[in-house]
Amino acid sequence: MAKIIDRSISIGEFIPQPDDDLIICRCEEVTKGEIRRAVHDGMYTMTEIRRYLRTGMGLCQGQTCSKLVKGIVAKELGVPADQLEGGTSRAPVRPVEMKILANESEKEVSKHE
Amino acid sequence: MKRIELIVIGAGPAGLSAAIEAAKTGMEVVVFDENAKPGGQLFKQIHKFFGSKEHRAKVRGYKIGQELLEEANKAGVNVILNATVIGIFENKEITVMAEDRIVHYKADYLIVATGASENMVPFEGWTLPGVIGAGAAQTLINLHGVKPGNKILMLGSGNVGLVVSYQLLQAGCEVVALVDAAKRVGGYGVHAAKVARCGVPFYLSHTIVKAEGEECVNKVTIAEVDESWHTISGTEKQFEVDTICMAVGLSPMSQLLKAAGCMMIEDNKRGGVVPKTDSYGQTSIKGIYASGDVSGIEEASSAMIEGRISGIAAAKDAGYLSETLFQEKVNSYHKAIDCLRQGMFAPENRGRTDLTSTEEGVLISQSLLTKGYVDETEIYRYPGVRTGIKGVHPVIECTQNIPCNPCQDACQRHCIKIGNSITSLPVVDETEICSGCGMCVAFCSGQAIFLVNEEYDENYATVTLPYEFLPLPKKGDQGKAFDRSGTEVCDAEVVEVRSAKVMDHTNLVTIKVSKDMAMKARFYKAIV
Amino acid sequence: MRIEEHPILGVPEKGKKVLFYFDGKPMEGYEGEPIAAALRAAGVLVHRHTMKQDKPRGIFCAIGRCTDCVMVVDGKPNIRTCVTPLTEGMKVQTQYGVSPK
Repeated sequence: MAKIIDRSISIGEFIPQPDDDLIICRCEEVTKGEIRRAVHDGMYTMTEIRRYLRTGMGLCQGQTCSKLVKGIVAKELGVPADQLEGGTSRAPVRPVEMKILANESEKEVSKHE
Repeated sequence: MKRIELIVIGAGPAGLSAAIEAAKTGMEVVVFDENAKPGGQLFKQIHKFFGSKEHRAKVRGYKIGQELLEEANKAGVNVILNATVIGIFENKEITVMAEDRIVHYKADYLIVATGASENMVPFEGWTLPGVIGAGAAQTLINLHGVKPGNKILMLGSGNVGLVVSYQLLQAGCEVVALVDAAKRVGGYGVHAAKVARCGVPFYLSHTIVKAEGEECVNKVTIAEVDESWHTISGTEKQFEVDTICMAVGLSPMSQLLKAAGCMMIEDNKRGGVVPKTDSYGQTSIKGIYASGDVSGIEEASSAMIEGRISGIAAAKDAGYLSETLFQEKVNSYHKAIDCLRQGMFAPENRGRTDLTSTEEGVLISQSLLTKGYVDETEIYRYPGVRTGIKGVHPVIECTQNIPCNPCQDACQRHCIKIGNSITSLPVVDETEICSGCGMCVAFCSGQAIFLVNEEYDENYATVTLPYEFLPLPKKGDQGKAFDRSGTEVCDAEVVEVRSAKVMDHTNLVTIKVSKDMAMKARFYKAIV
Repeated sequence: MRIEEHPILGVPEKGKKVLFYFDGKPMEGYEGEPIAAALRAAGVLVHRHTMKQDKPRGIFCAIGRCTDCVMVVDGKPNIRTCVTPLTEGMKVQTQYGVSPK
């Protein structure tokens, strides 16, 4: 499955929609309109959208919104959602405080913590 | 860095099963789970499971969870809780977050059983307090004994939406409507029927337009949708609610596998992004396995078998299990799982809307798919529904091919026949005489069996119903009988109430109704 | 909102009754249950107000995934109340953005 989006395709003008105010990313409070506009600004991949708008970069790390954002971006691009590469998955896959992330320990994790 | 032979990530049904199988061969196994308690979602599943004996059919999910934990203890599985695996790196190295520190481990074999997360749909007002996932409702009522609200609207007619709606009713909540944008009920018909006869109206081809409220939700508007999912103006309906539950599917929580570099595929029939695996659950990286919902959304019963398969596969590769013994075990587990993956709701049939008749060639009830119950005009086509039999006899309103057969085992008199194919519709054999023991009623996980005596006396018939609510009616109580749609049809007197340990809280309530109601009355409520 | 007796599960098992404070107001809950469950039982639905739009949020997933139910607990913000056990005397505060009012 080729997951490279053709950047030369024309997706037309941004046309406002009545539900553009709908919150999609609940953590970072990013709306549907902002996501659609970002696509028209040239953000064609999930990674670009994420860096541009911070969708899925809040506390929950995109647990709720990543599927929704992908659907919106795909629709705007006029491609099926499964042709769009999802955002990168990387450690840590759960929110971790910086001081914990930096606190590497040799002490094994025991049953009673 | 500590090296461990097998690390399992996730102590849910798949992870525990995998760990048990591997530990039994003598392999060193550690299970990490981020939660404070093991069992994953099993302890919230208070309904009786489907399947056959080997799949623990007719046992409630939380009891299967207890059994699994006991088995894990006995096998010497080391389950470490409050330990979150936050990364998988090269050579099966993992990082675990526990308390205030990060610890590295190196695994020879790794089984990822991280389960799934709930999908959500956005609508105006969906961020208001009171709008929650169906899983949240289930967690609050079944684990913490707290109702999420009093008046609830459920969005989603899949098994989760149906089962949680019923659980909300059991907890004493009112479910004002069950809404789904799809044209047809997505989950098992028997789950839908038990919700519908309690009086919950089904709104298929409907969606939520908006939820309203200042600080929390107090009103919801739904409307019908057309072929292209647009709402049709003029069809709006409003409900006063304090809670909206969303049950719109699950997605595999496969981020760890993706981060590990496993080859991933996007498969809508499996719920989203899943790892490419072989028939033992091994991913594209040798020694990393995936089992349960993380490799494709299914029922917990399948997840447990998948886990066991991955567990023995890892043990065999590590040299703890001979090739012969492995083949023997894997064949039996593959047989067991294939058995569950049959029928109308098999993974391969997911999303299909073109099924019009059962394996037996019986037309599928249209009212069941659109209203949640089998209409009076359609009920007589099923082989479990027979009338005009003398004395007490079972009426089995099981109308879809699902892998389940406890009713057949329940009947000592052989009145109920399913045969070799576990998905076949149960047939009532009129030549065998029913003793009226009621075990079939109590054992049916779908609560779809009723005992009917059409000639109780000159004017009355009796109907024995499965009853899982409080307060439990008492002999002599006067109340009302309701039909399959939840509409009140006549007066009813409770003539017998049976409870036994073996019935596991599915009480048998026998009501006396006028003769013409024998094939209509399917639920009882006390007069309040 | 508490279920006194459940038709399948019986009487819910609970820890000992404890006192905690919600925005300074004393409330009762059971030790060990999630803070969110105790708050729901006490009729509190709003856990926080969001940073940008100042909109109310409460329990959403109840299993520690969505982080919508975070509050300031004993002075620490962003605590997932649905998976954090209640203890005696705990101070729970509505979170505005990332801090208490």
